Amino acid sequence: MAHLDIRQLQAGYGDKTILHDINLQVQKGEMIALLGPSGCGKTTLLNAICGFVPTQSGEVHIAGHEITLLPAERRNITMVFQSYALWPHMSVAQNISYGLKVRKIPKAQAHKRVLDLLSIINLEGFENEKVTNLSGGQRQRVALARALAVEPDVLVLDEPLSNLDAKVRLSVRHELKALQKKLGFTSLIVTHDQEEALVMADRVAVLNQGRIEQLGTPEDIYQQPQTPFVADFMGADNCIIYQASTPSVQLNLANAAATQKLALYFRSSAAELRTVSDRTEAGLTISGVIEQSAFLGQQYRHTLRSGDQILQADSRQCWPIASSVSLHVPPHALHVFDLATHETPPSFQSNSRG
Amino acid sequence: MRASTSNLLLIGPAALMVLALFLYPLFFSLVSAFTQDDLSFTLAHFVKVFELYSNDIKFTVIIVLSSVVLLAILSIGIAATLTLSPFPKLVAVLALLYRLPLFIPFIVAAQMMRTFLAKNGLMNNTLVAMGVMTPLETVSLLGWSGIIITFVWKQLAFSTLLISGAMAALNRDQIQAAQNLGASRLRILVDVILPQVMPTIGVALVLSTVTIMSVLSVPLMIGTGSPTMITADIAFRVNSYGDYHVANALGMVSYLICAGLAWFYLRQSLKDKGALS
Repeated sequence: MAHLDIRQLQAGYGDKTILHDINLQVQKGEMIALLGPSGCGKTTLLNAICGFVPTQSGEVHIAGHEITLLPAERRNITMVFQSYALWPHMSVAQNISYGLKVRKIPKAQAHKRVLDLLSIINLEGFENEKVTNLSGGQRQRVALARALAVEPDVLVLDEPLSNLDAKVRLSVRHELKALQKKLGFTSLIVTHDQEEALVMADRVAVLNQGRIEQLGTPEDIYQQPQTPFVADFMGADNCIIYQASTPSVQLNLANAAATQKLALYFRSSAAELRTVSDRTEAGLTISGVIEQSAFLGQQYRHTLRSGDQILQADSRQCWPIASSVSLHVPPHALHVFDLATHETPPSFQSNSRG
Repeated sequence: MRASTSNLLLIGPAALMVLALFLYPLFFSLVSAFTQDDLSFTLAHFVKVFELYSNDIKFTVIIVLSSVVLLAILSIGIAATLTLSPFPKLVAVLALLYRLPLFIPFIVAAQMMRTFLAKNGLMNNTLVAMGVMTPLETVSLLGWSGIIITFVWKQLAFSTLLISGAMAALNRDQIQAAQNLGASRLRILVDVILPQVMPTIGVALVLSTVTIMSVLSVPLMIGTGSPTMITADIAFRVNSYGDYHVANALGMVSYLICAGLAWFYLRQSLKDKGALS
């Protein structure tokens, strides 16, 4: 049975419904990333789980107990905030032990727990420091220790790394993941950074407009997006509308040629640029003209115009502007969706397997 | 050298205003409190103040302290409700209601309280009509309790405005963090919010004290005449006797009471700062 079980949850502020029919089962010790653009409802979902946003309908269960209507202070779910939310008038130790104090844990025991946690987050000797004297990365680690001190049933993290600069973010991300593996806490992490979600989470839920679009392992989400939105959000942001009648676009797939309109998504990195030739090959071949190129370090990113569609393709070689090229995408890197149903037609489903 | 001259010129007009409109009258009243008409030094005015008005001074201090204590309790209560209440409708009504006294002058407030608190005033009439008490049991609240009620009612808006503003400026996440660690609303108020808004509470109460010390209309309209507050005595000395010396001596006593409270507040806030660093 799932440790955290969310069933048909609907929630929002006032009359406005933000989350629609959310179903999510989280196993004990699992880390799930909620990924989506801003405004998709991912933070609202965390707030609803914590009890900060009232539930309109649906149920939330933890370890078999329903907590849908429990107030936040009785849920035993703790949050790590983007803003750290440490209390500036308390020391590091006072911040971390606050939850223990509220729960009337004896002082000696609480002190020991604080010292243990400080060593876990690599801040030994900082217990009497003012939190305002700490750096961003240190503050977030203290916030993490504070949230873990009470041994919550579920730990939720609301964009915990967004306020940190790039280098510190990577190291805190690594520490957080290592800690999660070591201590085995059940957690939900909200992020808008797809890399963060892929690296940290056991499973990823992609949210769009208050609904879960796709839930799966990082590999699933990355390689087999089930909707155009997920494909686009996970970096396959080239989209071409395919009709059999367009001469500049050729689709050669082993499966029967479809007569319907298709939307084809692929990553710039999966596309290959070649000189124009008559050779036919499995996959997608588009002829076009280079409009722009940008140096990215490892490769050049080219902007290609084909008819009225603009596409991006990476290449190690810098193609001259205005040269005619052919862009090729192999079958396994193509994500095919029927324009009418927004789903991958059954006959194409084998294509996206990498 | 030239820069400092031009700086002096720049602050000149402002400094002149302060000198002419505040420091000169202050100095003048100090001199007047300690001198006779021929400008010779004397403490006779202060002797007179303590002979005639020591009860009024005590009365003033008691009124001010009780008003400020009540103000602190009530405005923290209202501000906390505004910040922590889970009922948005209650908060909206409260947020509108508590501000009303801001727009009512003291003299109007005093007049309203007269008709409200008198023996046959609105409050007692309502209670009698409701059958809570009989007309014979009604008591007039005009007097010291009426003065305190009026001051608290009028100043509550101001101090709540300051304190709830400071509470609203706190990061909401800090409250939620305490909440999901298991803290009740009262605990959050005591442990998380109050320590951070203490300086603002201090400012609100010191400013309220100074305001209360300087209001004349309330003790004149609601008070029973004797004992009364220092402001009423000053007005009496000036209007009835033209005795500016004793009036200024009474003013000095007012200054000292305010200064005493300000000193207490500053010492406290310095202590808090020292404890934090």
